[in-house]
Amino acid sequence: MAAAMKRSSFWSWLWIILGTLYFLLPLISTFDFSLRARKGILSFQAYLNVFKDPSFWATIRFSLIIALFTILVSIILVVPTAYWIRLRLPKLRSLVEFISMLPFVVPAIVLVFGLIRVFSGAPFFLTSTYLGTYALLVAAYVVLALPFVFRSIDTGLAAIDVRSLTEAAQSLGAGWGTILFKIIFPNLRVAILSSTFLTLATVIGEYTIASFLVGIKAFGPYMSLIGQNKTYESSSIAIISFLLTWLLMGMIQLFNRGNANAGSLAGGR
Amino acid sequence: MLNKQTSDLKEKRDARQARPNFSFLRDWVGVIPFFIFAFLFIVLPSVTLLVHAFQDNDGNLTLRNFLGLLEPSILDAYWVTIRISLTTAIGGGLLGFLMAYSITVGKLPNGVRSAILTFSGVASNFAGVPLAFAFIATLGRTGLVTVLLKNLFGLNLYEQGFSLYSFWGLSLTYLFFQFPLMILVITPALDGLKKEWQEAAQNLGASHSLYLRRVALPILMPSILGGMILLFGNSFGAYATAYSLTGGFINLVTIVIGSQIKGDILYNPGLGYALAVGMVVVMSLMMAVYYLLRRRSERWLRQ
Amino acid sequence: MRISRLFSFLSPVLMAAMLLSACSSTAATTPPSAQLSEMDALIAAAKAEGSLTTIALPHDWCNYGEAIETFKAKYGLTVNELNPDGGSADEIEAIKANKDNKGPQAPDVIDVGYGFGPQLIEEKLVQPYKVSTWDSIPDDSKDPDGYWYGDYYGIMAFEVNKDAVTNVPQDWADLLKPEYQGQVALAGDPRASAQAQMSVYAAAIYNGGSLDNVQPGLDFFKQLNDAGNFVPVIAKQATVAKGETPVILRWDYSALADKDTLAGNPNIEVVYPQSGTIAGIYIQAISAYAPHPNAAKLWMEFLYSDEGQNIWLKGYCHPIRFNDMQSRNVIPDDLLSKLPSFAGPVAFPTIDQINTAKQVIADQWMAAVGADVK
Repeated sequence: MAAAMKRSSFWSWLWIILGTLYFLLPLISTFDFSLRARKGILSFQAYLNVFKDPSFWATIRFSLIIALFTILVSIILVVPTAYWIRLRLPKLRSLVEFISMLPFVVPAIVLVFGLIRVFSGAPFFLTSTYLGTYALLVAAYVVLALPFVFRSIDTGLAAIDVRSLTEAAQSLGAGWGTILFKIIFPNLRVAILSSTFLTLATVIGEYTIASFLVGIKAFGPYMSLIGQNKTYESSSIAIISFLLTWLLMGMIQLFNRGNANAGSLAGGR
Repeated sequence: MLNKQTSDLKEKRDARQARPNFSFLRDWVGVIPFFIFAFLFIVLPSVTLLVHAFQDNDGNLTLRNFLGLLEPSILDAYWVTIRISLTTAIGGGLLGFLMAYSITVGKLPNGVRSAILTFSGVASNFAGVPLAFAFIATLGRTGLVTVLLKNLFGLNLYEQGFSLYSFWGLSLTYLFFQFPLMILVITPALDGLKKEWQEAAQNLGASHSLYLRRVALPILMPSILGGMILLFGNSFGAYATAYSLTGGFINLVTIVIGSQIKGDILYNPGLGYALAVGMVVVMSLMMAVYYLLRRRSERWLRQ
Repeated sequence: MRISRLFSFLSPVLMAAMLLSACSSTAATTPPSAQLSEMDALIAAAKAEGSLTTIALPHDWCNYGEAIETFKAKYGLTVNELNPDGGSADEIEAIKANKDNKGPQAPDVIDVGYGFGPQLIEEKLVQPYKVSTWDSIPDDSKDPDGYWYGDYYGIMAFEVNKDAVTNVPQDWADLLKPEYQGQVALAGDPRASAQAQMSVYAAAIYNGGSLDNVQPGLDFFKQLNDAGNFVPVIAKQATVAKGETPVILRWDYSALADKDTLAGNPNIEVVYPQSGTIAGIYIQAISAYAPHPNAAKLWMEFLYSDEGQNIWLKGYCHPIRFNDMQSRNVIPDDLLSKLPSFAGPVAFPTIDQINTAKQVIADQWMAAVGADVK
């Protein structure tokens, strides 16, 4: 048994090392190029130029706030739906899954123009105010993130025995609110975490929808503006946004681990 | 277990007919917000897509756009796009599964798991222009790895026939965001594999590989398939990375659509929208295949 | 100096006066003082609107960044910049999608390729406006009714990373030489980018074709691809600097802007192919559905004033009123000296020629080049 454990450990490490190498090499190349802003020497000049730009901070702040709302809306929308589908309406599963895959085949530019056409005029007039426009942006991002969020949540639900948990809770007198928030959500911690990561990354770098709804106020269009004409800064921005997003996810991960008192009721390691 | 569940369902069905409609409504309450949202923000905006697919540049109704889909170069575009999506879905799915397996069942330290999960989160959306350039900087003619291989091992990749600006080069680039996506999506399922099952299998004398083949994999198969269809869709709809890396020289549907509804030259949005409708059709076909496979894999699970 | 300032002050006024007197709608010539107050009225109306929405204007393209900042500072308006990476079709689609929208997503002004002029009128996407300097815009670069008007043009050149090549190519034929294996690229997809399409068009004219025969251009690139010199990637400043695509075909203003930005890291040289090259005009228009029509008109007045035209000149673009300004000596000498000159043949295709050529190139491109990139 010890030999079997050692063997699986070897393979595990092998795949991780290979995977990590594959991840790191392109990043190392980009990083190396970003250090060459001053001819002949390696320096962080490209990074300094980015950090000194007030638009960098403004746009990243904007996109992070939008991302936060997108994550909240996505999870609140998808978790009860996926749960209900599994529990009560299995026949609807195909329809919901199909809908969740539609964002892949509708080009972003069609989506944004469609949203503008539908919601800028009567009866919504969403684009007449900034708040309305931002709400439209969040809605668009929830749509974009839907395939990933739904798949993560659905996979998470598949791993726990939804029916037994619900019946047990009901027989103990719990109402739907309690079931959802005190039992289902905590058991989907990893799936919700995955969804959060995927949504955050989607929103921060997104270009097309942001560029037509809010222009260069968002981080995606800002990156494109820099990327067109400033070679070294475009590489340094790629690295910065990568590291920043990674840092944020690390913080979310830590915060999540701190709240892990509930533990997993339904299996898992 | 099986009998109880089927009888449960029968009970529910009969009970629903006996009782008034309140519980029927209550069943739907949970999903109504989703359907309202989907209708408002996915279906309504996409109606433009469907309507304009049947119009020409002057607004008259026509089927010419759909006839345009039958042109050989466009059919070829669909085929190349399907090929690259299948390649990266299966390749990315396998690699992602192996890595996810390593960090969950493979019992690697928690720090490695956290690092890989968070990294996967970022990498899964590192696409478009920055990714294309990162791969150019790595495997292009003047790329870091290319030069390293030439100087250290005397191996000239490009003389051997490799090129980043090819189908396989693009697949390699796509994999960068495909397999982190698989990792993120499949990890919850791997976490759901109960330790007890592995121990029980061992107590019954099964080797580790037998356990994997007969117990773990069948349980995981629906989720693996779900992950792969997600990867397929993700690759199918990808535009920015392909455009930045191959400049439209590889015939992909998204790039053809782009050249019709964006850009400076051609301007036939009707054809572009018809192409998008074609993509929906292809996607539906793939999902049908996925359902069949998943049904078969779930047969003994009876969730 | 003072005389030229007087000229630059009076000439738009005189132009406007002549224009108004030429219009049959006014009975008498409006005195210059009324011209000034018209401009003031426009400024006041624009300020009341408060903002302008632009689309697809990269900051280093013809020095638009400075134009926008100067405009903002001068008139106190805010500018919403949409979709910096967009192409002409994006701008047209944006107008169409925002017909009922008065919010900041609706573009007020657009800057598109020359060939799109007739379409803008046909689909009723733009409203007519004649700036006060209208008469000094050459006739073949504007719509007589004022629906669209040329803004600037550039000339196709080679942008070369001198540190990555042994010899700098001087002409079309040089590109086919074996020393440039895997080194030559386009700055876009000829099926989607005006710049790339014009590169193919230029290659056609000086390699056995003409303004009406683009097939030789496609043949040229097929030859380039077969020789292994062609790199099938979209080249940008970054790929040139990296040395991945050290020789690219680019508008001279973009190439010169790249040269300035990179500042020797690496050394860039901008070469006009000796046999000849092509010019590409872009045109401006005001959206028919513009939520801020007065701000849009003020923007046009600004761009077509000497000040605005000189800002474009600083970005190495040839502003459309170049000849007029040069004849009145209102171009600063330092700007003139920085502008490279080219004595060889420069082709100026008409709208019809462009639209015919682009259809042929778009249809045949994949057959010529894309087939073996599988």
